[in-house]
Amino acid sequence: MPEQLWFTEILNRMFAGPVTGLLRALHIEPQYPQAPVTNAVSMQVLVFLFLVVLFALVRSRLSVDKPGALQHVFEGIHGFIVGQSEEIIGHHSEGFTPFLVALACFILTCNLIGLIPGFESPTAVPVVPLGCAVTAFIYYQTQGFKHHGIAYLKHFAGPMWWLAPIMLPIEIISHVARMLSLTVRLFANMFAGDMVTLVFFSLVPVGVPILFLGLHIGVSFLQTYIFILLTTVYLAGAVAEEH
Amino acid sequence: MASPGKNPEKNNVWLQIAKYSQLAFIFPAATVAGWLIGVGLDHWLHTTWLYLVGLILGIVAGFVELIRMVSGSDSE
Repeated sequence: MPEQLWFTEILNRMFAGPVTGLLRALHIEPQYPQAPVTNAVSMQVLVFLFLVVLFALVRSRLSVDKPGALQHVFEGIHGFIVGQSEEIIGHHSEGFTPFLVALACFILTCNLIGLIPGFESPTAVPVVPLGCAVTAFIYYQTQGFKHHGIAYLKHFAGPMWWLAPIMLPIEIISHVARMLSLTVRLFANMFAGDMVTLVFFSLVPVGVPILFLGLHIGVSFLQTYIFILLTTVYLAGAVAEEH
Repeated sequence: MASPGKNPEKNNVWLQIAKYSQLAFIFPAATVAGWLIGVGLDHWLHTTWLYLVGLILGIVAGFVELIRMVSGSDSE
């Protein structure tokens, strides 16, 4: 049996049967049928529940006259992403804000949750950043098709029609590479942050790890920002009018 | 993109940092992506040479992205 966090243990105790059944129905044999829910999945479920409760709380306390601290924080996040999207994409960027804010909150919470004892950063496991990158990829391609229709395919054909047979595979590879680079950057930074903190904690258990925890917080914010920024840049490319 | 005459990338240092940090990742990422696609196609079509084509196209795609980024032009 793998080492399980307390929340993973709860989920496995409650849902091991149905999850294993579902995986087997999809022809996937879980490595541990008694504990099919991994720490990364359980942490994502926890982050999801936390964000839903947080957003519901903010929604229930919205006030124009007396905005609370939480409302200020979320208005700040929203304003920051709206400003950034408008700067990069242009005036028609409002429609993308919900996706970008949700993705930013999810990645940031996933990055920071590892700082609390008893929890782990799910973004330090490669499949989680890959999931976020695939979501961003599908979203910006969908927006490209929604914006340009079938003419969006011209983006993949290169500047001249006779170059299309060469440019098409190159463009497809470069779009897949974007996904891969988003994944590797987020995973590597979070994994390295965790490792550095752990190593220094085992060498000098007092004082020094605090510096690295501070560094981890900084890296968590920076990596979230870069992920969202690059997603916005790709979105801008997908919905751009000029070719 | 943004309105003509206004270049947001020149004004936003963080945007430049993010885009240029991408330089370190995009070339190896494109090479690996091309190779993976080639290996996938080899597996699917029962061939043994498409991985090499994928690898070469991946290297070319990496260079194309690099040059595109460095020159600041965006074909999209």
